[in-house]
Amino acid sequence: MSTGTEPEVESELTQPASGTDEAELEALLGDRAIAREEHLNAPGFVINPNDVQAVLSDLRNEAGYDHLSCVTAQQYEDRYESIYHLKKFADPTDELSIVVPTTSENPVSQSAEPVFRTADWHEREAYDLIGVEYEGHPDLRRILLPETWQGHPLSKDYDQEKPQLVTLTEHQNPIQPDHRDAESDTMFLNIGPHHPATHGVLHVETVLDGETVADVEPDIGYLHRCEEQMCQSGTYRHQIMPYPDRWDYVSAGLLNEWAYARAIEDLADVEVPEYAQVIRTMGAELCRIASHMLALGTFALDVYGEFTATFMYTFRDREVIQDLLEDLTGQRMMFNYFRVGGVAWDLPEPREEFFAQARDFLNELPAKVAEYHDLITGNEIFQTRCIDTGVLEPDVAKSYGCTGPVVRGSGVDYDLRRDDPYGYYDQLDWDVITRDGCDNYARVLCRMEEVEESAKIIEQCLDLLEEWPEDERDVQANVPRTLKPDADTEIYRAVEGAKGELGIYIRSDGTDKPGRFKIRSPCFSNLQALAEMSEGEYIPDLIASLGSLDIVLGEVDR
Amino acid sequence: MNAATTTPIQSDVLLPERLGDLTGLNEFGLAGELLSTLIGAVIVGSLILTMTAVAGPWAKRKITASFTDRISINQIGPAGIGIIIADAVRMLSKENIIPENADRPAYDLAPIVIVGSALLGFAVIPMGSGIQLADPEVGLAFAFAVAGIASIGLVMAGYASGNKYSLLGGLRAVAQNVAYEIPLVVTGMSVVLFAGSLQMGAIVDAQNTQTLVDLGVVSIPAWYALVNPFAFVLFLIANFAEVGRNPFDMPEAPAELVAGYQTEYSSVYFVLVYLGEFLHIFLGGAIISTIFLGGPAGPGPAALGIVWFTLKIWGVFFLTQWLRSAVPRVRIDQLIEIGWKGLLVLSFANLGLTAAIVGVIA
Amino acid sequence: MIGVLKSMATTMKHALDGSTFTVEYPSTAPDVSPRFRGVHKFSQERCIWCRQCENVCPNDTIQIVMDDKRNGEQYNLHIGQCIYCRLCEEVCPVDAILLTQNFEFTGDTKHDLVYNKEELKSVPWYKDIDPLESREPDRGAWIGEGDGEVDYQ
Repeated sequence: MSTGTEPEVESELTQPASGTDEAELEALLGDRAIAREEHLNAPGFVINPNDVQAVLSDLRNEAGYDHLSCVTAQQYEDRYESIYHLKKFADPTDELSIVVPTTSENPVSQSAEPVFRTADWHEREAYDLIGVEYEGHPDLRRILLPETWQGHPLSKDYDQEKPQLVTLTEHQNPIQPDHRDAESDTMFLNIGPHHPATHGVLHVETVLDGETVADVEPDIGYLHRCEEQMCQSGTYRHQIMPYPDRWDYVSAGLLNEWAYARAIEDLADVEVPEYAQVIRTMGAELCRIASHMLALGTFALDVYGEFTATFMYTFRDREVIQDLLEDLTGQRMMFNYFRVGGVAWDLPEPREEFFAQARDFLNELPAKVAEYHDLITGNEIFQTRCIDTGVLEPDVAKSYGCTGPVVRGSGVDYDLRRDDPYGYYDQLDWDVITRDGCDNYARVLCRMEEVEESAKIIEQCLDLLEEWPEDERDVQANVPRTLKPDADTEIYRAVEGAKGELGIYIRSDGTDKPGRFKIRSPCFSNLQALAEMSEGEYIPDLIASLGSLDIVLGEVDR
Repeated sequence: MNAATTTPIQSDVLLPERLGDLTGLNEFGLAGELLSTLIGAVIVGSLILTMTAVAGPWAKRKITASFTDRISINQIGPAGIGIIIADAVRMLSKENIIPENADRPAYDLAPIVIVGSALLGFAVIPMGSGIQLADPEVGLAFAFAVAGIASIGLVMAGYASGNKYSLLGGLRAVAQNVAYEIPLVVTGMSVVLFAGSLQMGAIVDAQNTQTLVDLGVVSIPAWYALVNPFAFVLFLIANFAEVGRNPFDMPEAPAELVAGYQTEYSSVYFVLVYLGEFLHIFLGGAIISTIFLGGPAGPGPAALGIVWFTLKIWGVFFLTQWLRSAVPRVRIDQLIEIGWKGLLVLSFANLGLTAAIVGVIA
Repeated sequence: MIGVLKSMATTMKHALDGSTFTVEYPSTAPDVSPRFRGVHKFSQERCIWCRQCENVCPNDTIQIVMDDKRNGEQYNLHIGQCIYCRLCEEVCPVDAILLTQNFEFTGDTKHDLVYNKEELKSVPWYKDIDPLESREPDRGAWIGEGDGEVDYQ
């Protein structure tokens, strides 16, 4: 936003349905709010870089904004800017953006880490990619790129064409911490980046005291593929949509696509036909089941070790969904099925066959879930392994910005499908699953029960689709071939992905490509809590906790 | 218990002696005896190694596949049995990578110790059909003793590899073996109380000369698994922990410690370590069969003893694979707790109880 | 203990029923959905060299070379770089580029996966499935005019 004082268009989207009055907020912030902004999703207040902690802690403690969903940093011609996207766990439609501009010469801003621990990694990422420095941040290092990378890739003066050879710092011994320290009795252990249980290329720097985990520091970025930059160089209308499939690449593609679709449809004011919304809802829930099946299987792999029956059974069930999705979308994982304003195709012909297949799957599902309960959750050894390990207290989970089954396993009733409805969810009958265990077992149960809820949703969608009148089956809205949202319109929209809140921030700059495209990955925030969950426990618990977070490195590193 | 209804199937003549008679080597005195013993050892060794060769590359995969609804190997030979040769060639032709930090010769010796300790144990096992190398009076103690040497091999492997995962695996192996060796031996003792002898042959005979229940048509022999099922279960559990099988596969713990003590081993050394594991499973199975399942006893003529014995060993092997498919791994602290607080107490209780019962009967 | 036994019974049930869900891949060709997106097939007879596919491609996989009279000379497509999003097929007004169901391709080097138009023409149909039949391309949706300003770039 250029100056931030004039109110923007489409204000009907900005009014929160309930919650805090803007006047109250103004009163709360007082002089600290130096200007106002309007984002499509939320009102924005511009504050001084020195007031970040004070403002955020007031907002959290006084106004109840307890969820720092995302931190977006960006560079304008004349300044840097950090945006703190705040929400409430109790009501995620009550959003607020805190905009912190800093000068181009001296991009230093106060860190929000003491208030929201999730800001730790988010600010590191902002520093890494944009170059904003955060004062008072406990550990402001690069997070996605190597330590010795030159420049900040998403800043204006960065030469994206120039290749870089990344070397270690001169004379640095890469295995220095590996060497024996005469002073201490602890052992430093690199778990990953190549390790059977890190679910990809995650590197967990662990300090062990015997078998006990004394310190954990996840090191990410091995799978960084510049997804934000790629989206910034694609056109809104078509070229961005194939990429979300590649964030959370383990069969959660449609959920990711929906995140982008939701953001751009609200930004460009596109109305999606109801029929397409039903198809989207069904497809997304199929993806969620597939994703949760995989999560269950890999978690079992972490707890059982080796190639166990559980893993293969979950893959067998996931395979059925993949076949359905292949029939529907034309691809097994990289769907590219959603379009701005709808979906690419109607259901495959013959429709009856598709319905029959889907219903067969749904009919068999309860028996399969029962089998998983027999095989996994009912097993006493499994219970002793999982109950009371990897404990994540609700307050800690909130502070880390954990979402999805992770936070629902800690008893926080937060699900964007219900709390911030989109698609067809609000017209269907289903429940949000929460568990109070706060441990690995609760998270596993939470996912398994969510599978059943998803099945309910799919069942209702199938009923709707079957009865839908033939001449009203619009799969796409009439969307202009080129989308050019008004310049300097900003929106942050999130959907409930398989792993949690998947948010997209888009700032348009008047062209057919986004000026800034920021992805709020649920895995990124969830992974931060790993240290909290596993310190003081044993190595096997660390591995199990990591498995129960259900991270996908493609989404963590983007 | 009733009097003897079956003839003892335990042959009095040991394999080396018989070989000596057969080949005429006995006439050459000590040298001849030594030679016939060696030939006997080669026969027994080949038998066991053939079994592991079938188990490792082929049977294990087939069993796991059937539990996990997969097809698995079926390309080379009938039912994919040719994979044994293919795998052998593949493994042996790989480069043997020895880490720079390896502590030699401990690193080189470890695989041999692991394999050797298991093979030694088979020397005293009566496998039926007259296949038994030696039948010393302390047979059972000998079997436990040599099997226990394996933990030295594991520590050596873990320590000498110069890898932290190996080290952790080695340490776990020791902690686990120490914790479970005692319940194992103490439970084994309860059998000795019944049989009144440590001699393997005598234990087998004691089980098969008596009948537990005589139903007229079928008489159930007094196998100690039937006489004292409690001890049998205890022994099974302790044995799985001792050989490091699920749910007690802590020393390897693939998801946690990559591959534990065997992380750094490749090529021939890996084959040896892997072989050692299977040998230990089979040795465990052999001891269980001998002291709880009547050894080589079974219906049919006594010459079929080796068949029954092999079936029993494979039964135990199958059980390890079954558990592997269905049971999660316990955590190291839980494992130690189960060992010291659970099994140890139970095994002593079992021993005391058995002693009392045996005393009363006597 | 009951739970452990139940787990064991569950896996044993699977072992005993003998059913498998894996397939012997090279010997039995898998069924792919009619909508599946595999390697591209190009038809020079149909192509009008409008370059829309080149334009819409999200990661510059398609390269078209034309002479100064705007006659097409080369049509290169890097099937190793392609993300199989099907936008090129969707945008093509004459169905000159189609994604077959063929998913099997190999190359010793990256360069082998750069297909020129001759190679693209000779890509076989997978099991004789013509993708157009199942996909009923709805071009109306693609060239939607919307209410706003239309930009034909």
